Amino acid sequence: MLRATLAKLAQTLLVLLLVSAASFTFLKLAPGDPVSIMLGADYSQAAYDQLVRELGLDQPLPAQYGHWLGAFLRGDWGTSYITNQDIFELAVLQALPVTLALAALSLLVALLIGIPASVLAALYRNSWVDVTATALAIGGNAFPSFYLGIILIWVFGVGLGWFPTLGFVAPWDDLWQGLWHLALPAITLGAWYVGLIARITRSSLLEVLGQPYILAAKARGEPAWRVVWVHGMRNVLMPLVTVIGLQLGGMLRGAVMTEVVFALPGLGMMVTTAVLNREYIVVQAGIMLTGLLFVAVNLAVDQTYQFLDPRLRRR
Amino acid sequence: MNSLSQLPAAPADQPPLLEARGFSLNRGKAAVLDGIDLTLRAGETLGLIGESGAGKSTLAMAVIGLLRAPEVALSGSLRFRGEELTALPEKAFRRLRGNQIGLIFQDATAALNPCFTVGAQIAEPLQRHLGLSKWDRRERAVELMQSVGIPEPRLRLNAYPHELSGGMQQRVMIAIALACNPALLLADEPTSALDVTIQAQIMELILERVRALNSSAVFVLHDLALGAQVCDRIAVMYAGQIVEEGPSAEVLARPLHPYTQGLKSCVVELGAHELQPIPGQVPPLSAMPGGCRFAPRCPKAQARCAEQRPAVEWREGRHIACWFPD
Amino acid sequence: MSSETLTAHAGWRRRFIQPIARQRTAVLGLAILAVYVAAALLAPWLATHDPTAQDLMAAMQGPSAAHWLGTDSYGQDLYSRLLYGARLALVIGFASVAMGLVVGVAIGLVAGLVGGRTEWALMRLVDGLLAFPELILAMAFMAVLGLGTENVVYALALSFVGPFARMTRGDVLQVKGQPYIEAARLMGVPTRAIIWRHVLPNVVSPILVQAGMRVSIAILLESGLSFLGIGVVPPTPDWGLMIAEGRAFITMAPWISGVPGVALALLLVALNLVGDGLRDAFDPNSNRD
Repeated sequence: MLRATLAKLAQTLLVLLLVSAASFTFLKLAPGDPVSIMLGADYSQAAYDQLVRELGLDQPLPAQYGHWLGAFLRGDWGTSYITNQDIFELAVLQALPVTLALAALSLLVALLIGIPASVLAALYRNSWVDVTATALAIGGNAFPSFYLGIILIWVFGVGLGWFPTLGFVAPWDDLWQGLWHLALPAITLGAWYVGLIARITRSSLLEVLGQPYILAAKARGEPAWRVVWVHGMRNVLMPLVTVIGLQLGGMLRGAVMTEVVFALPGLGMMVTTAVLNREYIVVQAGIMLTGLLFVAVNLAVDQTYQFLDPRLRRR
Repeated sequence: MNSLSQLPAAPADQPPLLEARGFSLNRGKAAVLDGIDLTLRAGETLGLIGESGAGKSTLAMAVIGLLRAPEVALSGSLRFRGEELTALPEKAFRRLRGNQIGLIFQDATAALNPCFTVGAQIAEPLQRHLGLSKWDRRERAVELMQSVGIPEPRLRLNAYPHELSGGMQQRVMIAIALACNPALLLADEPTSALDVTIQAQIMELILERVRALNSSAVFVLHDLALGAQVCDRIAVMYAGQIVEEGPSAEVLARPLHPYTQGLKSCVVELGAHELQPIPGQVPPLSAMPGGCRFAPRCPKAQARCAEQRPAVEWREGRHIACWFPD
Repeated sequence: MSSETLTAHAGWRRRFIQPIARQRTAVLGLAILAVYVAAALLAPWLATHDPTAQDLMAAMQGPSAAHWLGTDSYGQDLYSRLLYGARLALVIGFASVAMGLVVGVAIGLVAGLVGGRTEWALMRLVDGLLAFPELILAMAFMAVLGLGTENVVYALALSFVGPFARMTRGDVLQVKGQPYIEAARLMGVPTRAIIWRHVLPNVVSPILVQAGMRVSIAILLESGLSFLGIGVVPPTPDWGLMIAEGRAFITMAPWISGVPGVALALLLVALNLVGDGLRDAFDPNSNRD
């Protein structure tokens, strides 16, 4: 088992290197000349050459890459020339927590709603409960999250005034205010998640409930609720986590949209603004960070498989 | 004949452990079980013999209450220790299952939850019905595993089902079924899914345990000879009905019902020169013939057989449902 | 032993409804999709106005006889923009998926069939692509390529290369290991024929199912990018763009966002239903995204 983990780590490291190489390449491909942008309006050729040398841009590409990677690993991600803010601070200390908070809350909402609903749908298969739940799940999954966000703002924010429509308050600063501000965004992103979770839970549960070990549990005198929730759901966890892991890309897509619609200062907002402002160095930081996150979460999900399905463990 | 089944029957004045009178089970239009009459006393072992689809598993499922309304319609009487099972509320049934009535499944690999350890699954009925503490549960689980012949039980407590061989898994199943010392053990083809070499071992194990606990057992089997070896009495089922029932040694030695005779001749005996299969197939449940259900395939069938369902007679120490028994 | 004893309310007749219902929803999705395709194809004839013609005097009006679905803040006719928007969405959706499919499948085929160092190198490249979430990848490509409809198609296509390549290679490897391939080779069938006659047909069907499901993602991404302002440029009649434009006026003129929003949502639902139907019909054991 140790060997498998090491191999997995090595592979992950390689992918991380690829991620960094891709991000570096991106910056090189980006239009515009960073040197002239930094120098502003009037500059002499000498000043230009000097800056080029200072920035190491006259070096061969692999050397530049190494230099850049070294700086990146040190936490030196550059400075935004628009806001003059340290990019590492902006991306990791400010934007990342916001995105994580949104993602976590949305997932929580989705699980809290999706799992009970799909258990009911599975138990009362083909009844109106099932049909409604499945229809809502498909709808929620397909509905474009940016439009859903707009509708929610309109109805609940502006119309009913139940929730604030914009802005972010960190839950770790002020729990209730934070949650209140995150409520609509979490519902928006959660809607997409609910659809996903509900469908996989329902179909998995149906399959699991048809298995002999469920009947065997009943034959031991276990009450129905325990048969479904302990014996049944425990076997549903694996496909559920698989799907959540596989759909990480979709989740991030939804997060980006939701952040922009609700003006949450997360990673999605950061990257979008940077692209619109042509601040490619920030875009690069965003790409790099999301790539890293992606790889890290995939790795984590992979490890939980072992934990969830005893058949995958090797003694 | 093997000596496994030699034990005196329980005294006749005790009420029977399990009693079925005209018990029928209907799934929609299909009469899966039709007019079952059966008596099982404490300490007796009964073999339900028949081919696939005869309804033997269904009967076992009905006894443990896993087949009930509204999926199926029950009629007639089925009593366990005097209690009428057909009218029993689910809550009461839950107290019986795994507690006074145990069930061993045919496929142990599929009947064990892959996500929980073997020890946890054995301990489950101990907690549910006996309310043992965690420590007691563990000790009792070890005891049980020892009694079913699992080596190094303490180590195995934390094993997952997939880490055990098929034979071991079935032993675990047996331990689970016997955990609370049930008065009645139902074993649904307990060795069909196992290697031939282990089959005898497992059968002996089950019998030995049942005897040790003074419990009764119902074995659902498709092998007449095995049933006769292992059980005190045999009930032969065909198409949802019991066609012959009596002491196993006698039923095997001298079968009276044509179906039982057919079953016996299907078995290859030493010195036999040819197999004699029973022609035809079991009719579909929804299209059962009127009269004797076996008549279409019976070599001795006559006009009366197709018209009237044979009444159950008591003959030569056994029950038989045939107009023209041997 | 029946499993139905455990699931309540699974009536015997209802046991047959589920598989048919599956078909029914897929058929429903197909019907809705057909309407959209028709609208897209016939847009030039069905439209009442030029979709980019502005008329500031008639701006922000609700549905009327002149403008069947109202106008937006520039006075452009929403109904006509709706129709042309359908055209744009479907074209971008199918084109980007098709492009990504061709490139991705090519890479996957080469990797799977050639093997060795080529395969290793190609798959590491694909890993690099797959390490990023699709939207971020598309945004990065848009940043490099610049805005505009054509670039959106390229950016999306590039984002899809990864999944298709990985899938194809996996399928090729699986097919390669099958006994009938070995048999064909032993019989002396030339490699090219083996690929054409045996490998490709078995690889194609799951790919097409995946492609079908990707179209809805493509359209979602495309409208999302446009909504963010990183996609097509105004005044292109794009639903994402229209939703963004209407966002500021949501309280006073909700139809500006509403018309494209509902249209987009309905199309995505339809595509999802069709995609599910395809998956159930051809690849029922997959739980790929």
